Amino acid sequence: MGVIRPDIASQMVDLCAALLLLTCFAIVAQRRLSACVDLFALQSAFLAVTAALMAFLTGIHHIFIAALLTVIIKVIIIPRILKKVIKRLNVTRELVLNINIPPSLLICGALVILAFYITQPIISLGFLLTKDSLAISLAIVLIGFFTMIARKKAVTQVVGFLVMENGLFLGATAAAYGMPLIVELGVFFDVLVAGLIIGIFTHRLQDTFDSVDTSKLTELKE
Amino acid sequence: MGFALTVLIAAPLVAGLSSLVVRTRRAMEWLQCAHAAVLLAMMSVVVMNVAEESVITVGILLRADALSAFMDLMLAFVGATGLLYALGYMGEEVTRGHVLHRHYKRFFCLFNLYLFAMLSAANVDNIALMWIAIEGSTLSAALLIGFEKTKAALEAGWKYIILSFVGIALALFGTVLVYYASEHVLGVSMEALSWKELYRIAPDLNPIALKLAFVFVLIGYGTKAGVAPMHTWLSEAHGEAPTPVSAMLSGLMLNLALYAVLRFKSIVDRTVGMDFTGPILLVLGLLSVTIAAIYLLVQRDYKRLFAYSSIEHVGIALVGFGIGGPLGVFGGLFHMLNHALAKSTVFYAAGMVMLRRGHKTIERVTGLVRQMPLVGGSMMLATLALAGMPPFGLFVSEVLITTEAYGQRPWVAYVFLCLLAVAFATLLYQVSRMAMGEPMEKDIPVTDRTNRFTTSALVANLAAMGYAGTHMPGFLRDLFIPMTRFFGVIVELP
Repeated sequence: MGVIRPDIASQMVDLCAALLLLTCFAIVAQRRLSACVDLFALQSAFLAVTAALMAFLTGIHHIFIAALLTVIIKVIIIPRILKKVIKRLNVTRELVLNINIPPSLLICGALVILAFYITQPIISLGFLLTKDSLAISLAIVLIGFFTMIARKKAVTQVVGFLVMENGLFLGATAAAYGMPLIVELGVFFDVLVAGLIIGIFTHRLQDTFDSVDTSKLTELKE
Repeated sequence: MGFALTVLIAAPLVAGLSSLVVRTRRAMEWLQCAHAAVLLAMMSVVVMNVAEESVITVGILLRADALSAFMDLMLAFVGATGLLYALGYMGEEVTRGHVLHRHYKRFFCLFNLYLFAMLSAANVDNIALMWIAIEGSTLSAALLIGFEKTKAALEAGWKYIILSFVGIALALFGTVLVYYASEHVLGVSMEALSWKELYRIAPDLNPIALKLAFVFVLIGYGTKAGVAPMHTWLSEAHGEAPTPVSAMLSGLMLNLALYAVLRFKSIVDRTVGMDFTGPILLVLGLLSVTIAAIYLLVQRDYKRLFAYSSIEHVGIALVGFGIGGPLGVFGGLFHMLNHALAKSTVFYAAGMVMLRRGHKTIERVTGLVRQMPLVGGSMMLATLALAGMPPFGLFVSEVLITTEAYGQRPWVAYVFLCLLAVAFATLLYQVSRMAMGEPMEKDIPVTDRTNRFTTSALVANLAAMGYAGTHMPGFLRDLFIPMTRFFGVIVELP
């Protein structure tokens, strides 16, 4: 930590976290499915940078491993699976949304304020370096959650889930200097398997329903 | 006694992986029977030891205290009968040509991995590893629910995936928040995630962080437990999954998710006092019972009927823990045990009805008791238990919870009793329509080979259900006393 002044270091981490949040908004504003996936990959890349920065600044080296895994799994493998799914499904744009884009963006803005409001009382617990990251990570989790509600296509819902996962990872790395390594490995394994299972399911849905528009899933009604 | 605990957890993993290489159905039957026997044997060793010495630890990862042993008891017993039942049920599907042998093997692999994930979750001494194990059970359950690949099964599987992934992500956020608070006290380390350490340092943790964490954990694991208003996936998943899986979902997974909530509750209680978590659980519990009581009446599909009854019973247990006090806590725990037994029994019976009638519509099923005495009779008995009739254990726990509620907040007792009465009437009405009367439809016979397995599973479960309602064996008493102390109350048991 000696090389960089603490206040500058803390601002660098904040900058990275803010970029993560910004890509969330870009995802919410994007109708093209493949662009959503690209933005998710970009967000994961920012996440990896944040984690690497944290590892460098704090000298906790196992966070480097987490950053590397983020690159492999979330920047390369999962976007590739999703791209394949999109190609097979033959849908490029999401025309009808549950909630349109302008109100969605406003709601997301409100969610960010909410996240900062909720975490305000406990921020003093954290380290100087990552003061604001907890609030940002909660904001990302909430926006990911909202994306799952606002969209209809299975692929964007999955992107929403993965965005939530990114927010969680930011929370764990930045706010608490990373979970122990074994935990991080487990979480990555789960995310990878989740990605695979979602891939399997979207294939089967496509085969059976000829669509992955989840509003067509209406077989089961009370 | 770490050995028994390790074997108990490792057995399903080994059996699951070997299921993939097994060639014949007979070999699979032997493998899974041996697996069930190992589960039961190891579980009894673990339970007896915990009852005597109170804690078993293996390394830094595994730690079984009374609450874990209590979960092991349910997981291993219902898991073992579930394996027997699945051998019969899936075997019949293979005989009829509905399921390929390849898929039959895959089913048992997933089913065993599912048991493995649940057993690990109940015994790890680490909040984050518990999360990973519960996530693992979600993943395997998602594939099991969509196993039949029909439209309805895929839809139910998809809804389950989306809802429980959101839930489980929120639970992880809650877990991170607990870690955030505990590493402030203990420093960045593995200990900051250990249940044992968390109990020790609970009074020093930041109360606001813990309150926030509890809300996230409750929403997260509550989704998996089918607590209203996050219950919407439950009836569909239970209705469309292959029946052995429905039985495991209802009997085991809901309890496991409840276990996770309870673990966090006991920490938060130590940090901020009982007044925070109690009312939240109480309100959600009452809401669950209300919603279930209403939906029980309008169900036309018997598997979904029993699924709604599960929501009701999770709600009842939550009311017990929410009210607190010795009777409330004891009632809640006792309720979890008896519900696991009764609900899996009723699903075993429902699966047999489905095999022999070929559909799930309540109205078209009549005269079960006359046509298939064992299946119809056990369905009726288990329903009486679920409706809360004596001499079954659910009656005892409901009475205890009501008594405690009456002492502390009488209005809760009144509302609770009214809801129970509605649920009692609707459930009995629906099931007696199926059980009584003249059979109208032709029976599709099942092979003797199937019957051997399903009958033994049903009989074992019925016996356990009857026994647990009327007796309190010594080892169970020795588990209950530390468990209730764990929630800050002391229970005198005879």
